[in-house]
Amino acid sequence: MTNSTINRRSFLKRGALGAGAVVSGEAAVQLLSTGRAWAAFGSDADVLNYALTLEYLESTFYQMGNAANVITDATEKDVLATIQQDEEAHVQAISDTIKKIGGTPVAKPSVTFPDGTFSSRDSYLKLAKTFEETGVGAYLGAAGSIQNKDILQAAAGIFGVEARHAAAIGYITGAAPEGGIYMGATESGKQPADVLAAVMPFLGGMPSAGFAPRNGNPDFLAAGAGAGLLAGAGLLVAGLRRRAAAAQTE
Amino acid sequence: MESELFGGQAVIHFKDETTRRSFLRTAALVGVGATLAGGATTAFAAGPEMASQFGDGDVGVLNYALTLEYLEADFYAQGTAKDFLGDNKKYLTPIAQHEAAHVQAILGTLQKLGATPAAKPTFKYPDGTFTDAMTFLKTANTFEETGVKAYHGQVPLIKDGAILGAAASIAGVESRHAAVLNLILKQKFVPAPVEAHASMDEVVAAVKPFLGA
Repeated sequence: MTNSTINRRSFLKRGALGAGAVVSGEAAVQLLSTGRAWAAFGSDADVLNYALTLEYLESTFYQMGNAANVITDATEKDVLATIQQDEEAHVQAISDTIKKIGGTPVAKPSVTFPDGTFSSRDSYLKLAKTFEETGVGAYLGAAGSIQNKDILQAAAGIFGVEARHAAAIGYITGAAPEGGIYMGATESGKQPADVLAAVMPFLGGMPSAGFAPRNGNPDFLAAGAGAGLLAGAGLLVAGLRRRAAAAQTE
Repeated sequence: MESELFGGQAVIHFKDETTRRSFLRTAALVGVGATLAGGATTAFAAGPEMASQFGDGDVGVLNYALTLEYLEADFYAQGTAKDFLGDNKKYLTPIAQHEAAHVQAILGTLQKLGATPAAKPTFKYPDGTFTDAMTFLKTANTFEETGVKAYHGQVPLIKDGAILGAAASIAGVESRHAAVLNLILKQKFVPAPVEAHASMDEVVAAVKPFLGA
């Protein structure tokens, strides 16, 4: 929890209320009443690279999981194929956007999953649900860091898709509607430090392209905090938006 | 959209002139621009002034969201109070609770901001909405997909970071609702890798048939 502590301090130092501020029920009202910034730190390229790292993790996870052929139900296969395609599209879109705003996309990290993750439907879907809920919280938790409004809007559009994924996995696994498919009347944000702590076990080796974690090093933590998530997709989004428009027409 | 939803029957009509005027008042409250409904030029010409009466900036956005949440809350409250949804009711009851919570959260926020919340509109629904499960589910799906796009459409316009965060936290829930309804209806549960957004005018035009009376 060293990470959390240091990150928290750096977070507070920046005067943010808490990117992860969970906005739920009455808390939403209280939060809104504060009038304080919801979160504020990092450049858009940092945020995008944070998002890109998570999207790389997710896309690789689904590529491996879907290739393992442990899913037999047609509907479930279809849902998981869609999710894989979405995550791949997110990787591409975010990478493109980072380049367009003059940044350097992080390289694809090597990832590792626990033994047995892909040996059964249940273990595959269980971890999938964890990743999706983490993604939802990560995007929401970092939304306040995004400066560019177009990028923010695109990030919101990606965030919503991650929420759809989480709900769909809950649905196909027969999870309880409340608490398994829906997570209450409002989504909860997660602070970057908590997100990174959650996914670090799956990142076997981070690339050295600007987002290299050095365990316990405050610099890294600060970078992590700065790397808010949401993607910058102002530009990136243009392409996706066109695709979305096409899909809607269809 | 309407034709698919309601078997080709036109639903964008008003029962009478009083109903139409009622909608126009409501629509004006929501800040509808002059471009909204072609036929209603006179009423909508006054739109901007009426919109400012309703509230500018973030308050306007909140009241817009409130109006949509009122619609959803009313719709699900009516639907889940009856027994025509079969096994799917278990997925819809939590949605009814969420929408009611959204109304309360937005109302509370407006009150804390010292703003006057938009009045709760009256609603009308096509025949069969609360007796035929498929009609209900398809309408629900339309509301959710519209709601998602409505929230995303306001993202660049919201000024206050806290309000933005709260709106996003609600939007994500609408996304979950939309996904579940799509799955129940055996439709694509993700329309695109990045959700689309819609302007206030577009959204108000989409929900117009349900406001009035």
